[in-house]
Amino acid sequence: MFLRWFALLSAAVVWAQAATRPHYGGTLRVEVEASIETADPPQAGPGMADLSGAFSVTRWEGGRVAIYSANEDAPGGRPYLDSVEIQMGRPLREQAIDLELKKADVADLGPNEARRAVASRKIWASAPVRLLALVFSERILDARLREALALAVDRSAIHNVLLQRQGEIAGALLPQWISGHAFLFPTAADAARARGLTAALPPPSRALTLSFEAPALRPIAERIALNARDAGLAVSVSQRNAGADIRLVEERIADAQPWRALTSLAVALGLPQPVRADSPEDLYSAERALLESFRVIPLFHLPDVYGVNPRVKGGPGITPLGRWRFSDLWLETVRP
Amino acid sequence: MTFRTRLLWIVTVAVVASVGLVEWLVARTTRDAFERAETQRVNALVAQSQREFARRGEAVVRAVQAVAASEAALNIALASDYAPYYSEASALASANGLDLLELVAGDGSIISSAEWPARFGYKEDWLANTGDWKARGAFLRREELGDGYTLAMAAVGEARAGDRVVYVAGGQRLDRDFLSTLVLPEGMRVLLYRNFAAPFSPPELIGPTGPEAQPALLMPLIEEVRRNPREVDQTVGSGTSAEIFHARPLLGSANELLGVLLVGSSRRDLVQMETSLRNIGVVLGAGGILIGIALSWWATARVTRPVRVLAESAQKVAAGNWDTTVEVGPEDEIGQLARAFNRMTQELVAQRERLVQAERVAAWRELARRLAHELKNPLFPLQITVENMQRARAQAPEQFDEVFREGTGTLLAELANLKQIIGRFSDFSKMPAPQKQTLDMNELVTGTIKFFEPQFASAHIAAKTDLAPHLPPISADPEQMTRVLRNLVLNAIDAMPQGGVLLVKTAARNGGIHMEIADSGQGLTPEECDRLFTPYYTTKTHGTGLGLAIVQSVISDHQGRIWVESQPGKGTAFRIDLG
Repeated sequence: MFLRWFALLSAAVVWAQAATRPHYGGTLRVEVEASIETADPPQAGPGMADLSGAFSVTRWEGGRVAIYSANEDAPGGRPYLDSVEIQMGRPLREQAIDLELKKADVADLGPNEARRAVASRKIWASAPVRLLALVFSERILDARLREALALAVDRSAIHNVLLQRQGEIAGALLPQWISGHAFLFPTAADAARARGLTAALPPPSRALTLSFEAPALRPIAERIALNARDAGLAVSVSQRNAGADIRLVEERIADAQPWRALTSLAVALGLPQPVRADSPEDLYSAERALLESFRVIPLFHLPDVYGVNPRVKGGPGITPLGRWRFSDLWLETVRP
Repeated sequence: MTFRTRLLWIVTVAVVASVGLVEWLVARTTRDAFERAETQRVNALVAQSQREFARRGEAVVRAVQAVAASEAALNIALASDYAPYYSEASALASANGLDLLELVAGDGSIISSAEWPARFGYKEDWLANTGDWKARGAFLRREELGDGYTLAMAAVGEARAGDRVVYVAGGQRLDRDFLSTLVLPEGMRVLLYRNFAAPFSPPELIGPTGPEAQPALLMPLIEEVRRNPREVDQTVGSGTSAEIFHARPLLGSANELLGVLLVGSSRRDLVQMETSLRNIGVVLGAGGILIGIALSWWATARVTRPVRVLAESAQKVAAGNWDTTVEVGPEDEIGQLARAFNRMTQELVAQRERLVQAERVAAWRELARRLAHELKNPLFPLQITVENMQRARAQAPEQFDEVFREGTGTLLAELANLKQIIGRFSDFSKMPAPQKQTLDMNELVTGTIKFFEPQFASAHIAAKTDLAPHLPPISADPEQMTRVLRNLVLNAIDAMPQGGVLLVKTAARNGGIHMEIADSGQGLTPEECDRLFTPYYTTKTHGTGLGLAIVQSVISDHQGRIWVESQPGKGTAFRIDLG
């Protein structure tokens, strides 16, 4: 009886050691919504560019598939994985299904998929590193119009429902975790004040066009249009409209250093470059100066969220800034 | 217009009127029958559309109740946070065949909207404020969408979990897809006007294939229903494109006018039938009219032929052919008329013969009287002269030679007179044929007036002429025309024993000439005028009574005409027309 119990205990210890010990080999199957339709693989991160060094690209079909193979001479040593296969342009819903059916090891998760996966699935999430904002065209000269829209947007409803409380409501360009003063920028909607501003505007100027890039942003754009209607603005929504009055854009924060992050965001959003700020007060003043014209209306700071197959070990495979770190990952069971 | 033409017109008008009346009656009767059939068809379709509405309403109620009873709705009702369910409505609507679906919390906040997903969190107070939705059934509703409005057949269900409730408001659009599901007979169509805006909006008038091509035609009908929401029938368009539309107002739960359902039935068949009837009627009418005209022609010919014969015979009688007779037909009015006509002509011939005989006797008597008078005048001096000569021979032989010489002179003179009288009668009996040549009548008149100037002077007569300057020459015998003029001038001189004015006028007329010789004498009575040209008739105490008869004879031989116009005390005018 004792021997039997000992044998069983020994087997359990061996199984536990096998489960936590890194394995070499295997292909990590990654699915992403983005579709990079370039002739060559991307050279700057985050994402596939982060694989450079530990992996080298062996197959590239822009917009469809990329295969990276382990680099035997990687600076930190050969990665555990033999290769990483990336399927591009996969809709979020299909990614969720593939993840559920274990056809994918890592997949993008949208807010709805992330909500459903919380209880049952492994999640990798970055810090809120993507700024979702409205950017006005240069031809929208009347600041009252821009301020009216800023006051009209009900960020809270969008955050609660469309984003399923993913990320943070933003009134600032930099997220709270980087600047520490984001909470000082107002985010509450004030439809009455917005209506007061638009009432003074001539009716033709109240008609605006709003454009967005990714299909996943359509519900947010349409909600903003609905909020704008409550403020007396007629906003029509369309995808990829280069001549739109307003663009709903997503900009990634690539640096955790506040001033550099603010500078890069300002450049990306078409704002003036902020003055050098070494103190928190200067940084706050610089950011406030960028936003006081309402040329850019920050809405949310969103994290990168991935659903991960439980067989993927060694994670998380992303940094707080959302960069891929797949060199330390391994797969629990190597497929033939 | 002749009697025959008049009769023909009457018969033709009667035929045309009869055919037209029959055609009108047939067209009207058929039209009424078609109108009734059309009304029945429209009513049937309206009833069908109402049944379809009811069926759709029941289907919507069932679908909404199915959603309300679903596990998904129950889960939402149980949930403490509705945010995860904001996209549930689309899937539920799709699964239950609903175009519109909203899941609404008990406080009226939209949890999820299939038709306008962005509206989550907005209030639908009308749901929470209304009572028992189960008993309500289906109703029409104007639903606001992101890009406008839509008309929907809607129903509301409730998903309850304890005291928590989620309203399920679903429906199906009333749009062209709905209209395309209505099965319509040939020639009928259904349109829907969605009453979303105050002024008439043409794009809101749709049919199964999209917006109506000619909304303006239906605007008056729709406006009438909008002003007074009740069912209205109206004919729209004209000709073969005409349609009769039945407009039915579609009311919402608060009796507000949400739309107008228009059931149209083409009148093409009716118009084509009317056209066919009209064409057939025209052909039959034309045929009837032609036959009627032919028959009336024949009938009028039969009726009017005896009348025409009578008229022609009367004209012959008027022309002098008094012994004309007509054929006597059947024993009817025309036959009686023919017999009367024949009797009349026979009587006229008899009277003429009697008159001729009487005139002949009168003429002979007149001739005898005139001859006796003319011959008696010279005979009396002859007798006196011979008796003087015998008395001188017996009583005073010494004066006999002188008496004899004077007596023989007188005898010779009277014998010459007798010879002249006899010559005149001889001339009248053998009037020669005119020797025509081109003649200037003005010149002849001038010469005649000049010839009589001594007599005018002695008789105190002022002779005047009024001659046309461009009188056309005529073809006439100059000698006989000279005789005519001299006779008429002599008559005028005789008519003015106390002097007066003689006027001779010429004028061109109808390619010939007109001449007038007028005196200012004592004039003639009508009876004298009538007999003036009768041979041996004279109003004078001297003369043979042959002068004017000769004048008339000459004028007649020249195909001319002479007549006299006179009134007692106002002179006499002889008028002559010569070709």
